[in-house]
Amino acid sequence: MKRLLGVALGVLTAIGGFLDIGDLVTNAVVGSRFGLSLAWVVVVGVVGICLFAQMSGRVAAVSERATFEIIRERLGPRTAGANLVASFLINLLTLTAEVGGIALALQLASSVEPRLWIPVAALAVWLVIWRTKFSVLENVTGLLGLTLVVFAVALFLLGPDWSELADQALSPTVPGDEGPASYWYFAIALFGAAMTPYEVFFFSSGAREERWTVKDVAQSRVNVFVGFPFGGILSIAIAACAAVVFLPRSVEVSSLSQIVLPVALAGGKLALAVVIVGIVAATFGAALETGLSSGYTLAQFFGWSWGKYRRPAQAARFHLAMIIALLIAVLVLMTSVDPIRVTELSVVFSAVALPLTYLPILLVANDPEYMGRHVNGRATNALALVYLVIILAASLAAIPLLIATGGGS
Amino acid sequence: MSPRVRRSALPHDPSATLPLGPRPAGRVLDARLHLLDRQTLDADEVPVATVDDLELVPPAGTSGPLVGDTPVHVAALLSGPVLATRVFGGRPPASRLHRILWRHVADVGTTVRLGVRGQDLDVLWVERWVRDHVIGRIPGGRHAPE
Amino acid sequence: MLLSDLLDAPVRAPSGDPLGYVVDVRLVLDGPLDGGLLVQPRVHGLIISPRTGSSFLGYERSDVRSPAVLARWLRWRHRGTFLVHWEHVATADADAVVLADGYRRWSPAFPEGAHRHV
Repeated sequence: MKRLLGVALGVLTAIGGFLDIGDLVTNAVVGSRFGLSLAWVVVVGVVGICLFAQMSGRVAAVSERATFEIIRERLGPRTAGANLVASFLINLLTLTAEVGGIALALQLASSVEPRLWIPVAALAVWLVIWRTKFSVLENVTGLLGLTLVVFAVALFLLGPDWSELADQALSPTVPGDEGPASYWYFAIALFGAAMTPYEVFFFSSGAREERWTVKDVAQSRVNVFVGFPFGGILSIAIAACAAVVFLPRSVEVSSLSQIVLPVALAGGKLALAVVIVGIVAATFGAALETGLSSGYTLAQFFGWSWGKYRRPAQAARFHLAMIIALLIAVLVLMTSVDPIRVTELSVVFSAVALPLTYLPILLVANDPEYMGRHVNGRATNALALVYLVIILAASLAAIPLLIATGGGS
Repeated sequence: MSPRVRRSALPHDPSATLPLGPRPAGRVLDARLHLLDRQTLDADEVPVATVDDLELVPPAGTSGPLVGDTPVHVAALLSGPVLATRVFGGRPPASRLHRILWRHVADVGTTVRLGVRGQDLDVLWVERWVRDHVIGRIPGGRHAPE
Repeated sequence: MLLSDLLDAPVRAPSGDPLGYVVDVRLVLDGPLDGGLLVQPRVHGLIISPRTGSSFLGYERSDVRSPAVLARWLRWRHRGTFLVHWEHVATADADAVVLADGYRRWSPAFPEGAHRHV
């Protein structure tokens, strides 16, 4: 019974933990502009993150090495250093977006200006990182994030034309008023939102935090293979809500209040309250994950002591790095930069940096020195190579498309 | 593109199958593959540093470039400023090398395990400084998370 | 002398012909114990490849064969890699490694099982 509860908890937190500000914003923007014609990208992204998270979790459990230690070992200091700079900056961008997301959600609930909420939100994130046990922070934010199921409920309440939605999703075409460059730009953004590198840094480091061993690999596989697809379904529900409400009116989503509007229309004040709780939980959870990831990547590259299972004084540089990252995020947000815009950029750059994180993990997952008999099977490798091609293509196309479309506008 | 010698310019046939040399009597490690950029852990499994470089020493009393006639040994693992010079080139002054002497190494696997505790090692002075002057002074910094 | 001084140093034959670059240094644990827990590693030889490049090394030396496409490509990049024993090195510093007359090229393959404890 206890085991079953453990599995259920793992799956539920994986669903709640899948969604962050990047998924919320990108799916809503895409839904309002392209309907469900990009839903296939979410499917591709979810299969990719399942594969990648499962590999990095298995490597962490079997070899007891976290992702960035492996990146350093395999790429050498120069290439790994370049990857560190890129990953750290993207992670910082994502952290900034998540903290901004918390503040925007709290603004919706309170009508207090977000700039007053930003320091409060960042302080709360730091306090949880500083004082709360890893398992508690993971489970609580994951479970609260589950309230985003309200997007799926809202979609049913909106009573959409299901055959039209299915038609958009199953025979995708670029809508008349959009160019193919924007279509592919947002395809990459959606892919980057689903496969953000920080999720892998967090997932593999979390496996070390919780002292996973070979025995835990099966459980982690269930969490990933059940939890992430459900998270993907919620992503598509967010896009569908936006498609139903905004696409016919040619309104382009550009704020958090628009993202939650379909839920409020469908379910009234109660549903709105639930979705705000969900967004606060999802962005807060993701702020914790990205905050920790900024410490994980630096500590693992330089070989510092790290981990939440240690007292802060026993991982001093790790904690100092996270404090500095949070301070930078607050300073950036205080310049009144739009967190939604920061989010849109962070998911695209995530796609750019992905190959340098993916490739070392793929190679080490095949190396018997690390993995013993738990190396990748043939089927995993075949799929992993297909994804290597997709990831490389997305990475190479991202910046040209960003420039060509002027950031998707 | 990394520098390379054109294979056609080599004085030998690069595609020839080479014989396996006589097997050495001890355990074999390739320095870059098995030591460099690996994590070191102290006797309590606490991460100490990443191996940024190795110090090679000829027998005492010899100087100048290394020569094949005399044996060369690995005396220490290096960490710290030497990483910057590996990335950007150049060489740190000898006084700024942070050494972990080889005599403290207990085992080499996917990590390098040391037989001493980190608090006895000079390489961790930055960690200790941050602990004593920043993190240890914030309330709760010395307590386990709840 | 630092290991990184030797890595990527150009290698020349006694005749002056370029042979490639030092991509790794093979060590054997058979030195003195020096009051420690593990004997000191001794430099056994140099691994020399026609090209430098520090990422994803080792496929030309190990028996890792998967994922097949990548392993084959990484191995192919460093084809022509060989091992010379330290006795056949005339001089070695950061600027150049010059081999001695009568040097011999050996397979760079890692001796089976020699990496694990013996």
